[in-house]
Amino acid sequence: MSHSKKAAIFNKDEAKVNWHDKALWYVREKRDNAAHGVKGWEYLRDTASKIKGNVLSNLDNYLIEFEANAIKNNIKVHWASNAEEHNKIVHKILEEHNAKNVVKSKSMLTEECHLNPFLEAKGIEVVDTDLGEYIVQIAEETPSHIVLPAIHKTKEEVDELFQEHLGTNPSNGNPEYLTNEARKHLLNKFIEADGAITGVNFAIAETGGIVVCTNEGNADMGAHLAPVHIACMGIEKIIPKEADLGVFLRLLARSATGQPITTYSSHFNKPAEGTEIHIVIVDNGRTEQLSREDFRSSLHCIRCGACMNTCPIYRRSGGHSYDATIPGPIGSILSPGKDLKKHSSLPFASTLCGSCSNVCPVKINIHEQLYKWRQIIVKEESQPVVKKSILKITGKVLGNRTLYNLVGKSARFMLKYAPRFMVYSKLNTWGKARELPEVKNENFDTWYKINRKNNG
Amino acid sequence: MKVGLFIPCYINQLFPQVAIATLELLEKLNIDVYYPNEQTCCGQPLGNSGYEEDSKGACRLFVENFKEYDYIVGPSGSCIYHVKKHFDILEQTSEVIKVRNNAFELCEFIVKILGKTDIGASFPYKVGLHKSCHGLRGLHLGSCSETMDSHYSTEEDLLNNVKGLELMSLTRKDECCGFGGTFSVFEEAISVKMGKDRIQDHLDNGVEVITGADHSCLMHLEGLLNRNEEPLKVMHIAEILNSTI
Amino acid sequence: MGRDAILKAIQKNKPSLIPLPEINLDAFEEPIDLLETFKEKVALVGGRIIALDAIKNIDSEIQKLYPNASKIISCIKESNLGTISISEKTNPHELEAVDLAIINGEFGVAENGAVWISEDNFPIRVLPFISNDLVIILNKEKLCSNLHEAYKLISERNRTFGLFISGPSKTADIEQCLVIGAQGAMSLTIILV
Repeated sequence: MSHSKKAAIFNKDEAKVNWHDKALWYVREKRDNAAHGVKGWEYLRDTASKIKGNVLSNLDNYLIEFEANAIKNNIKVHWASNAEEHNKIVHKILEEHNAKNVVKSKSMLTEECHLNPFLEAKGIEVVDTDLGEYIVQIAEETPSHIVLPAIHKTKEEVDELFQEHLGTNPSNGNPEYLTNEARKHLLNKFIEADGAITGVNFAIAETGGIVVCTNEGNADMGAHLAPVHIACMGIEKIIPKEADLGVFLRLLARSATGQPITTYSSHFNKPAEGTEIHIVIVDNGRTEQLSREDFRSSLHCIRCGACMNTCPIYRRSGGHSYDATIPGPIGSILSPGKDLKKHSSLPFASTLCGSCSNVCPVKINIHEQLYKWRQIIVKEESQPVVKKSILKITGKVLGNRTLYNLVGKSARFMLKYAPRFMVYSKLNTWGKARELPEVKNENFDTWYKINRKNNG
Repeated sequence: MKVGLFIPCYINQLFPQVAIATLELLEKLNIDVYYPNEQTCCGQPLGNSGYEEDSKGACRLFVENFKEYDYIVGPSGSCIYHVKKHFDILEQTSEVIKVRNNAFELCEFIVKILGKTDIGASFPYKVGLHKSCHGLRGLHLGSCSETMDSHYSTEEDLLNNVKGLELMSLTRKDECCGFGGTFSVFEEAISVKMGKDRIQDHLDNGVEVITGADHSCLMHLEGLLNRNEEPLKVMHIAEILNSTI
Repeated sequence: MGRDAILKAIQKNKPSLIPLPEINLDAFEEPIDLLETFKEKVALVGGRIIALDAIKNIDSEIQKLYPNASKIISCIKESNLGTISISEKTNPHELEAVDLAIINGEFGVAENGAVWISEDNFPIRVLPFISNDLVIILNKEKLCSNLHEAYKLISERNRTFGLFISGPSKTADIEQCLVIGAQGAMSLTIILV
């Protein structure tokens, strides 16, 4: 189903749309406040963007350097071309450790690879330990936002879910109570776990280390209690030097939630005595995106979610309307590269207002890439006949002054004289909730001819 | 200075009063202004819909019509932005480059090129400024709420000099109204909701007249206002600046 | 399998080399009071900050703050409150019920209220996360203004495991309501000496 159809369904409950919009706008405002507190913010964004530009232009060498340094530090490195390889590698590592109970912190990559169902089918329990992810997991849903996975759920809905799955008492959606109940439940899961999976926020070529950021502490609880820690990363997570983290960590949390930094920014360089760290480096379509000059910089993304919080369409359509692992503006330029047909409506789910590009901490020109995807989609994907023919004819009309005069005249005539029931028919989507412009008098061409005889 | 007046197709056909106000305003400012009468459209509706290829005819015609002028001035930020940004699909002849460089949105032309902010207008109403996205984030007519640069606004500079006009502050300074060209029909539900929310912000802040430098946004908002019979009017900024009430 | 295919694809698809930018740190410099800013940011991120005149007073201070803590691990020699002793050999699972951990912090970062702590400060990695409450002792002279400075300070460290910790564990995953105490420590107190 297209974004517009799903969004229209989401919009049937206007109160919920208002609630969703306000919740995310609040995050956008927190981001603004946090950014205002940093001297040189725009320069910081600019620098981050340039570092990412350098990374993509030297990605193979950085990955090789990263691997060599990681191996030196006793970290095991694996490479996966696609989701299937990734899932098999993770499973194999877990199998070697005879791991049956796995805790996983937030990783959009493992969502993208559909790791959970793969492991579950092999008899391994996977518990998502980020509270938001835990909520969507027990609800058997997918995250609707990359930083706030359960932002689409009200506290009352969470209350009901917890009653059903954790046996909690009804609390009218008391967040403290619910969080604390989840804490107790998840502590048992951490203690039982024989394997931990995390994502990777940054992988440093120079040191072979990785940085994982969380607010809850769930990545560390998992990684330090289980005998094996598997960290999964897309190839684009590499940064050249550890000092570059100064740039990225200053931007990440401020852009994401308005915090000056996440509670925990953990730097893993060597496994603890008696434990293992495995890093799985994944392509899964990224090298293909790298080949597309116009869309390459989408790989700069550090997954802060700021473009979602600011997007007036995302806020009013909900993450699930995008039907993609990564929703919102950034998802709308990443997803078509993976499956053009499935995601062909996403680049049109935008007014090209450009707010996304302005908040992006790594300055991805998101709205310009949406425009570029549109040009490709109308060529490669079959378009609704009516839309296509109208636009093709429009092109002819606008390129020809005689046709333009004719069409202008008849459109004005229609608007002025056609009976209301004809104008506001089913075919007129504009007119469902809006009046058409009132045609008052002659057009400007005619006015000009009459009133400015000497010119033109 | 020879100025070519660019009147976007929908303004020509549906909002001639905006075109007239623009022309009269430029004449008041003693500009030698011409209206090339073979003009049609900048091609934006096609480009934004993915049919950039089919817009080349319109783009070429635009260049043909305006190549002889020192400046091309139009009362629509998004059309001017399209000329400047997306005429890269044409072969970059000296004529195309000239047209792209010399195209200006009306307010920007008055403030930046003519160096004027007070043009002797008066308009005794409470006005809310809708900062249209392409003018704001594309042409940089003002600072954007997202970036940390110091505050400026070309339209505010002009409106603050209009006698009697009270510029009202909005809660969300520069959120999109949801027009977005064909977005307004292909994503009808969201488009309408965005427009309603923008209008509510103006209502909440005591606005009597919504203005802006892009009449396509205003057309969308006006369509909603008229359907819902809200006590608000929309006027293009050229109409306010040309007003001596 | 993966590795060669990925590297080959990158070589084929990457743009020509774009230089790594020089970072001009002057752009971020502003005259701030390090201590005051740090205190303000620790409070902002939900932490508690206490300045003591002398390190010898820490035990009474900690007891005042955490009167009910009984299972206490102290990793600093200046405190005698420890009731459980641990070493590198301790099984991390045994720390499940720890009430309070007391550790040294290496330095604080004024712009975000974070403290750098590393494996040198606690023998078991999970300790600062699994302990119900956490106290970090920090020398008030050891503050830097921002993360750029911070990374210079740790550039020569022995890289095993370390982290910036900024306030207690928290979440806002239920309707954007901030709740302190998610999966990590429920409270963080920084004692400046």
